[in-house]
Amino acid sequence: MKLKWLTVAKWEFFEKVRSRAFLLSLVLMPVLVFGIALLPALLTVEEDTSTIVLGVIDQTGRIIDVLQERLNDEYTLKNGNPNYLLRNLITDEPLETLKDKANDLVVQGELEGYFYFPSDLFERGEFEYRSDNVANIRLQERFKRILEKIILEERLQRIGIDTTLYKRIKTKVSVRAMKISEAGEEQESGFYQTFLLAYVGLLMIIFMVLTSGQLLIRSILEEKSNRVVEVLLSSCSAQDLMVGKILGLSGLGLLQMFVYGAFGILIAMKTSTTTFDIGYLLLIVLYAILGYLFYAALLVAAGSPVTTEQEAQQINGYISILIVVPIGFMMLILQKPDSFITTVLSYIPLFTPTVMVLRIAAKMPSIFEIVSTVLILLLSIVGMMWVAGRIFRVAILSYGKRPTFRELILWMRQP
Amino acid sequence: MLTVHQLRKKFNSVYAVDGVSFTVSRGEVFGLLGPNGAGKTTTIRTILHIILPDSGTILFDGKPFSKELWNKFGYLPEERGLYRKSRVLDTILYFSSLKGMHWNEVRSKAFLWLDRFGLLNDGHRKIEELSKGNQQKVQLILAFLHSPQLLILDEPFSGLDPLNQQQLKDIILELRTQNIAIIFSTHQMEQVEKLCDTICLINKGREVVKGALADVKRQYGTNTIHIEFEGDASILARHPLVSKADIYQRYAEVELNDITYANEFLHSLPSTLIIKKYEIQEPSLHSIFIQVVGRRTEGLEK
Repeated sequence: MKLKWLTVAKWEFFEKVRSRAFLLSLVLMPVLVFGIALLPALLTVEEDTSTIVLGVIDQTGRIIDVLQERLNDEYTLKNGNPNYLLRNLITDEPLETLKDKANDLVVQGELEGYFYFPSDLFERGEFEYRSDNVANIRLQERFKRILEKIILEERLQRIGIDTTLYKRIKTKVSVRAMKISEAGEEQESGFYQTFLLAYVGLLMIIFMVLTSGQLLIRSILEEKSNRVVEVLLSSCSAQDLMVGKILGLSGLGLLQMFVYGAFGILIAMKTSTTTFDIGYLLLIVLYAILGYLFYAALLVAAGSPVTTEQEAQQINGYISILIVVPIGFMMLILQKPDSFITTVLSYIPLFTPTVMVLRIAAKMPSIFEIVSTVLILLLSIVGMMWVAGRIFRVAILSYGKRPTFRELILWMRQP
Repeated sequence: MLTVHQLRKKFNSVYAVDGVSFTVSRGEVFGLLGPNGAGKTTTIRTILHIILPDSGTILFDGKPFSKELWNKFGYLPEERGLYRKSRVLDTILYFSSLKGMHWNEVRSKAFLWLDRFGLLNDGHRKIEELSKGNQQKVQLILAFLHSPQLLILDEPFSGLDPLNQQQLKDIILELRTQNIAIIFSTHQMEQVEKLCDTICLINKGREVVKGALADVKRQYGTNTIHIEFEGDASILARHPLVSKADIYQRYAEVELNDITYANEFLHSLPSTLIIKKYEIQEPSLHSIFIQVVGRRTEGLEK
C-alpha cells in the first residue's frame, strides 16, 4: 500500500518550492532581518564627515577650554579638522535669555545642540544637553566620559591629590571571557559570539514556524475554499492529509534553514578563526524541528476551522506573538541561564524550543534537562497532533461560520 | 456492486440522511435525485468514507470499507475547484498518484484523456489560465483516470456546452459497458431519463421513490391511453379492459383497469378500427419529481 501522506508531502513541498513566493521569501527574509538588526549599528558606527558645532553655556567658566582641548585630542575628522567645535554662548544677559537664544540657534540649524554647565557642576556633577535630536547617544556618551574625567581631576586637585600621580596609579582593566564547555576545554568566547549564536538559532526557529506555518494555514484555507478537499478526502484519510501537509511544509522550512545555515557557516569560517561546535548546531536543528511540529499542530487546530483570509491572518498573528515572546526574555535567559524563571519557561512546550536554544548558546544545560525537555515536547506534539487531527477532519468540511469553542470540543469528542 | 443499507447521519440533532437504502449494480447508471438540501451530498460523502454515518452499513462488492477502496472510487463533487496555480499535468499526476497509480501509467493515460477532451497542448499550463469549461474537463479526468470501480458524478453536466455534454454522455455510457457502478446525482431530469437505469429520489433525508426507471414511470403513470383512429370506435366503450372512455370524432382517451395490459388491449381491437396513433401517456420524471417532492413537503409541513 502506497504511503499517501508521503504523496501529499511531496506535492506540498515541490509545489511550494517552485512558487515565486517562496523564492522571494528565501531572499527577502535575510535581507529584512539583517537589515533591521545591522542597519542601525552600521549607521551609528559611521564616522562624522563634517565638524559638529555645539553651543556651551558654561557658568563655571573653567570647563569650555579644557573640554575643547580634550575633544581635539581625541576626536578629529579624517581631513584633520576637529570633530566637535564648541561655541561659547555666555554673555552678560540672564540665563533665561541665553537659553532662548541658544534654542533659536539650534532650531535654525546653526548648532547641533548646546550644553549648559551650571556653576555647581563640580559639586553636583549634573549638566544639561539640549538638542532637537537627543537620540544621538554616541555624542552624549563621548561628552559624558570626558566631562567625568575633568570633574574627577578637579575634585582630586581640591583635596590635594596630584593628578599626574592619579594617572600613574590608575590601571586599565580588560576582560577576556572564556567559556568552559562540558568537556572542560576552554574556548575564548565573548558575549558577542554567544549572543550571535543564540540570535541566529532563535531566528531559525521563528522563521521556520512563521514561513511554514503561514503556508500551512494558507494551504488548508485554499483547499477548503476551492473544495479540492472533497476529492482529496475521497482518496486518502484526513490524517494522511494533515500529516503530509505538515511534513511537506516542514521540508520547506528545513530547506530554508539549510540554505541560511550553509551561508552562515561559510561566512563564519571566512571571518573568524573560532569553529562552530557541530553539536550545538544539531541541537538547535532538533529543537527547531520539534518546535515547528508543535506549532504546526497548534496552527492546524486553530486554523482549520477558519473560513476567510482575514481570520487566517488573525490566527497567524496570535501564534506569531507566542513564538516571538522569548525574544523579550532573551537578555534574562542569556544572563541567567539557570534561573528559576528560565527553567520553568524551558518546560512550557510553547517556549521550550526557543528558550532551550538560547540556553544552549549561553551555557549548555545538563543532559537531563535536554532529554526531559525533548521528551515533554515530543509528548506535547503527539497530544497536539491528536487534537489537531480530530478538529481538522471535521473542520475541513465545514464551510459556514467559524465554530464556537464548545463546537470544537464536540468535534474532538466525535468517534 | 454497492449496497447501502439504512444509512443515517445526524448534524446538530437534525437527520441529514434518515434511513436511506439502495443498491447500485456494476454496469448500471444510478440516479441519486432530490431537491436542494435533501441529503444527496451527505449520502455521497458517507459512501466515499469522507464522513462516517451514525448508523447503517455500506458494502462494496460485499465488503465493508477499507483504505484500499479509496483507490477504486472516482468522485466529481458538485462544487468544482482545483489548485489554481498548479499546472494541469502536475495536478493530474498528483491526484492520480493519490489514487495509488504509478507515474508512468498516469502520464500515458493523462495524454490520452487530454487528447480526447482537446486539451493535449494545455498540459503545461496553469489551471487558472484555462477556461471554466476546460477546468471542469480536467476535473472530470481526475475522476476517472484511475479506472474507478465506483464513479460518483455530482451534476457533471453543469457548466459544459452542448457539444461537451454530448461527449460526456458518450463517455458515461462507455464506462457503463466497462462494468463500473456509476452514481449520477443531478437536478436535470432530462439527463436522468436519458442515462439512468435505476433511480432513488430522496427528500429531507428520506427515500421517496426508488426503483428501475421504467417501473417508477409506470408506478406514477396514469392508466390513460390516447388513441387517434379512423372508423367505428364504439367498441372502446364496451371493451372489458376499459374502465372509462371519452370518445370523440377521431380521437379517444381511454382509461384501462390495468395499464400493464396496454399491449393486449391494442391487439384485441378489431381491424375495422384503423389506429393512427396509440400512446400510453407516460409521466415525465420531471413531473414525478414535482408531484412527489411537492406532496411530500406539504405532508410533512402539515
